[in-house]
Amino acid sequence: MPELRGSHGDSPTNVLTRWFGTPDLHTLDVYESKAGGYAALRKALLDMAPADITNEVKTSGLRGRGGAGFATGTKWSFINRDSPGPKYVVINADESEPGTSKDRYILENSPHMLVEGILIAAYAVGANQAWVYIRGEYDEPYRMLSAAIEEARAKGYVGPKPMGKDYPLDIRLYRGHGAYICGEETALLESLEGKRAQPRSRPPFPAVKGAWGRPTLLNNVETLVTVPWIINHGGAAYAKFGTDKSPGTRLMSVSGNVNKPGVYEVELGQTFRHVIMDLAGGIAGGHDLKVFWPGGSSAPVLPASMLDTKTDMESLAAARSMGGSGGVIVMDDQHCIVRAAYRLLKFYARESCGKCTPCRIGGDWAVRTYERILANEGSQVEIDTLLRVSDGLQNGRCLCGLGDSAGWVIDSTFRHFREEYEDHALRHECNVGKVATSA
Amino acid sequence: MTALSVHILDEIRELPGKYPQPRSAVMPALDLAQEELGHLTPEAMTEVAAALELDPGYVEGVATFYSLFHLEPIGKHHFYVCTNLSCALRGANEIIDHVKQEIGVKEPDEVSVDGMFSYEEVECLGACEFAPMMRFEHRYHYDLTPAKIDQLIAASKGEKLLPTRGEVARSAGGAAEKPKPKPRTARKKKADA
Repeated sequence: MPELRGSHGDSPTNVLTRWFGTPDLHTLDVYESKAGGYAALRKALLDMAPADITNEVKTSGLRGRGGAGFATGTKWSFINRDSPGPKYVVINADESEPGTSKDRYILENSPHMLVEGILIAAYAVGANQAWVYIRGEYDEPYRMLSAAIEEARAKGYVGPKPMGKDYPLDIRLYRGHGAYICGEETALLESLEGKRAQPRSRPPFPAVKGAWGRPTLLNNVETLVTVPWIINHGGAAYAKFGTDKSPGTRLMSVSGNVNKPGVYEVELGQTFRHVIMDLAGGIAGGHDLKVFWPGGSSAPVLPASMLDTKTDMESLAAARSMGGSGGVIVMDDQHCIVRAAYRLLKFYARESCGKCTPCRIGGDWAVRTYERILANEGSQVEIDTLLRVSDGLQNGRCLCGLGDSAGWVIDSTFRHFREEYEDHALRHECNVGKVATSA
Repeated sequence: MTALSVHILDEIRELPGKYPQPRSAVMPALDLAQEELGHLTPEAMTEVAAALELDPGYVEGVATFYSLFHLEPIGKHHFYVCTNLSCALRGANEIIDHVKQEIGVKEPDEVSVDGMFSYEEVECLGACEFAPMMRFEHRYHYDLTPAKIDQLIAASKGEKLLPTRGEVARSAGGAAEKPKPKPRTARKKKADA
C-alpha cells in the first residue's frame, strides 16, 4: 500500500473515511471486527423491506458522486422491482475524469465497503447480479476488489443465501480497456456488452433497458459506499451533514500546485478556500493561486477571486460551474491558462468516441486553433474560431456531455482570462506572471 | 499453424458462456491474445473472431477503439506516463523527456533498438495526489523523478542500480558478501511474434 494521502481516522465529518488507515482494513475480518462492516447488509436483508431501503436512501438526499449529481434514491425507485426476468446493478468504477482519484482511494483502502454497498443496492432494486466495470489500468484496485468479493463469497455474503436470507446475490468484475467515454453510463453499457463504447440515445433509459437489454441500475463507487452508513444510521442522520439540497460529505481529490495533494472528505457547503488552503495546505512554492477546476476538468474553471465559492452543487451552479466528480485541480500563477486549456482540449479530442459529428470534428478543430495561437500565429480570427467551435460542441448537439465539457473548458477559461488569450493571439506574448492573481 | 496457441484459443472459446450474452467476451478474449503475443496482429484478431463466431472486422473495430489494445509491437517494458493536467503541473513533461532520452526513442510507441522499451503519453490515470505518476509493469509508480525512472530501467535490464536494504545491512555488518547478479524475471509475454 502506498502512503495514504488524504482523509482518514476519527473526525465528525469522516463518514466514508473514518476507518481508512486501519491496518488490514481491506480484509473482511478487520472490516467487520473494527469498522462494523456488513452490519448494514445484515440489517437491510433481515430487518428491512426493499422499499424501506430505497426510502432511507431518498431521505438521506444522497446525490450521485460520479458527476451528474442525480438523486440516488430516486434513481433506485425507477427500477420496477416486480418486473419479471433478470435485472442488473452495474457499478461505474471506470474513474477517468482528469483530476479525480477518489474511487481508487476507496477501492485501495476499503474494498469491502463497496461490496457491502453493492449487495444492499442489488437487494433494494430486485437484482441478483451486479457487474463492476473497473478501469483496466486499476491493477491493484482490481486485485483488491476481487479478493474482497472472494472473501465475501467464502463467508456466504455473496452467494445463494446471504445472511441466511433466501435471496441470491452475486458480483462479477469486468475490466475496461482505456476509454474516458465509458464514464457516460450508456457508453459503459455498450462496452460491457462487448462493443465500441458509444453512447446510446435515450429513451429508453437504463432503468428500463440497460445492460443486455434488461432493467439496470448504474451507480458510481463513491455513491454506493455511502449506502452502508445511511442504512446503519438512517437517512435523516446523513441529511444533517451538508446543505439542504446537497446533503452529506463527498471525497474531493485535490491535485496540482498545492502543498498537500490528497483525497479529502469534505462536508458539502464548505468553501474551496477551506479545501485548497486548509486541507491541501495551500499553494506550493510560495506562489499564488491563479485558477482551479472545482469538479474535474469538465467543470468550468473558477479564478482565485472566487475561492470562497462553496462546494455544494447549488453554489457551484450559481458560480457557473459544477461539482462534477469532485476532482479539484489547482493551478498557480506560474502557469499559462491557454496552455492548460490546450492540454485539456487535446484530451477531449482524443477521447471523443466519434459518434456525433460536432464532437468528433470540433475537438480537433479547437486543438488546431490552440496550436496556431501558441505558435504565435494567432489573430482575432483564432479567438472567434475557438468561441464558435465551443458553441458548436454544446447545447444538446451531441448525445452525451463530452462535447459540452470540451466547450466549457474554452468558454470558462476565456471568460475569466480573456486578457491572456488576447495576449497570446493578438500580441503573440504570454503574460504569465504579469497579471496579479492573488485572492 | 495459428498465431495464437491452441490452449489460448480453447480458453477463448470458453469465455462467451460466462456472460449473459456472448459478445461481452470479445475484450477478455483480446486480452488473452495480447498477453500471449505482446500486441494484436491481424492474424490474432481473425482467430479471436473465429473462436467467438464474430466478424473479424467487428473484432478489429473493438480493438482499435480502446487505448489499452496495441495493434503495433511495443517494448517488453512499456511506460504509460500520465501527462494530463494534474501531472503536467508537477513535471510530467520533464519525466517524458527523461524517459525518451534514457530508452533512446523519439516518439510514443517507438520501440528501443534492443526491443526492451517503449512509452506512451496517457490520459489521467486516477492517482493525481501522487503526481507525476505512471503505470509500468502492471503497477502504479508515484512521485516520479528522473532517478526513479533510471532505477526502473536498470531493474528491467536485470541490473541493480541501488543496493537493497539487505545489502546495505550486510555491508554495514562488514561481512562483504558479494551480491549475486539478479536473474532476469521470467515473463509470460513473449517477444514480438
